[in-house]
Amino acid sequence: MYYLGIDVGSVSTDIVVIDENYNVVESVYLRTKGRPIKAVQEGFKYIKEKIKTNEIAGVGTTGSGRHIAAFLVGADVVKNEITSHAVAALSLDKDVRTIIEIGGQDSKIITLENGMITDFAMNTVCAAGTGSFLDRQAERLEIPIEEFGDYALRSKNPVRIAGRCAVFAESDMIHKQQLGFAVEDIIRGLCEALVRNYLNNVAKGKDIKSKIFFQGGVAANKGMKRAFEEALGCEVFVPKHYNMMGAIGAAILAAERQIKWTNFKGFEIADVKYETASFECSGCSNLCEVAVIKCEDKVIGYFGDRCGRHSGKVAV
Amino acid sequence: MKVGIPRGLLYYKYKPFFTTFFEELGAEIIESPDTNKEILDLGVKLCTDEACLPIKVFHGHVEKIKDKCDLILVPRIMQVEKREFICPKFCGIPEMIENNIKDLPQITKAPIYSYSADKFLNWAYETGKLFTKSYIKIQRAFDYAIKEQNMFKEGIDDEGFQYKVALIGHTYNIYDKFINMNLVKKLNNFGIGVITHEVVDDNVKHMEVKKLFKRPFWTFAREYYGFASYAVRNQLIDGIIYLSSFACGIDSVIVELLKLEFEDIPFLLLKIDEHTGEAGFDTRVEAFVDMLTRRKGGNLA
Ligand code: SF4
Ligand code: SF4
Repeated sequence: MYYLGIDVGSVSTDIVVIDENYNVVESVYLRTKGRPIKAVQEGFKYIKEKIKTNEIAGVGTTGSGRHIAAFLVGADVVKNEITSHAVAALSLDKDVRTIIEIGGQDSKIITLENGMITDFAMNTVCAAGTGSFLDRQAERLEIPIEEFGDYALRSKNPVRIAGRCAVFAESDMIHKQQLGFAVEDIIRGLCEALVRNYLNNVAKGKDIKSKIFFQGGVAANKGMKRAFEEALGCEVFVPKHYNMMGAIGAAILAAERQIKWTNFKGFEIADVKYETASFECSGCSNLCEVAVIKCEDKVIGYFGDRCGRHSGKVAV
Repeated sequence: MKVGIPRGLLYYKYKPFFTTFFEELGAEIIESPDTNKEILDLGVKLCTDEACLPIKVFHGHVEKIKDKCDLILVPRIMQVEKREFICPKFCGIPEMIENNIKDLPQITKAPIYSYSADKFLNWAYETGKLFTKSYIKIQRAFDYAIKEQNMFKEGIDDEGFQYKVALIGHTYNIYDKFINMNLVKKLNNFGIGVITHEVVDDNVKHMEVKKLFKRPFWTFAREYYGFASYAVRNQLIDGIIYLSSFACGIDSVIVELLKLEFEDIPFLLLKIDEHTGEAGFDTRVEAFVDMLTRRKGGNLA
């Protein structure tokens, strides 16, 4: 039997299938592009070719779009990103004490002790250091993002870049470029600046103990990994499925539940036509922006109402 | 005379006093509605950007009712305890309102020192003058109002939950359900009970802060620290949630103090401002709940 994990974030949607021993057997990574339903359907189209619906014994969803995803696919477990990431890391190594997670648009830190979360923090405000920011800088320097890390590793004399916030970092980089510094040195300097920024903001006041896991999309960047190791003075581990840890955690949580009958609606929903719309509710002065999901002109779900006036009407 | 009472700032604490006082003087009370999106938007638009969210929200409430009343209560609360101060923004709130909001009716501006009846009466006379020439009448309204206020039971102390957290923060954050996105109910739905600082007696809090190196300068700091210290020592709670206004200087001091002092207690800081998204907010709350329940050996999933 297999378990399905789905992580719908603002930038990417990750779907994994794990077996009973929590090994990843299938995985898909898609851009969410503001359309989570579409992304999940795309992912299902791919997985459907390899795995049958009746082989799935449980489904977990996580990420900022976890509720929509859960509704769409029929999830058994709906969990926040913090818990999911921690569960995935712990399944690989019981001794992990710190998880550094940097994704497309946010970053977090989780500290653990004896396999339990003791503290965490999230940053959703400042863009500096997140995946989207690095993407943009790579684009500006005309370097494929995949090679960004290699460039950083080649540098011998990093340039100091101001990393306090994304705007400053960017303009400081442009300035350093104009002064004629080598691209390698600028990139390494940028990695160091972003690590400083992370440690001073997200990780401020947190007890960073080893063993340290570095996960999320940005963990692919070797320059960032090394900058963390230098700043922290110890080894930083990047798990094999570093960019799927949320989805893996959600799948594990579903597996741990040992549910008899999964709610899973099946991979076939990949072919259903869904329409989404939104309206401003005028039911009261909150004026909620309510999202509606329709299927063949029939409303099947509402999201985003504060009072449950709409979402309560449809049986989920 | 129609007196407007904006549902913002310390409204949640002193509502009985002010409503009774004005009613006794023959006023009709116009309260602004509970905070909603329109009020928040108005406040954000009218107020300077640097202000904390509660001050902005207060602006919104004033704007919402200004056309319906002859006088608006804008309490300039200076001190509620001797040798302590309330936030400096409270001292300047009438000026902020006057400068930021156009076409205002009259507003109350007299300062409030409420640590003694004598001092507090100065405010009552100053404000009561607008209604009557009779000091006796004002005095009587004041006495009634104090009595009402003393009968008012504040605070939350949930019972029958497996877990309990101290919910700390300014009353205008904790009781404004729109601003805090219904936090208390969300916690209750997760099986977490809440206790707030008003439940613990003031004298107890005074005793608790004696342990500090220096007497707190801010009333809020004494109340919140004193409460947390008492709750932790008596094992009333499994964790602390601090609901803080973004850009509140006082909160940032108290948060650091609490974190230093109660290292071993699970602590969640929730910062709110006008940009706070509900999804991220919920994620934090949910993750914190997981952390608490798992500590006690509860089921994670
Ligand atoms: S969905 Fe509910 S809370 Fe939101 S505006 Fe409509 S009635 Fe008000
Ligand atoms: S105490 Fe903080 S939240 Fe309250 S008015 Fe002052 S600065 Fe704003």
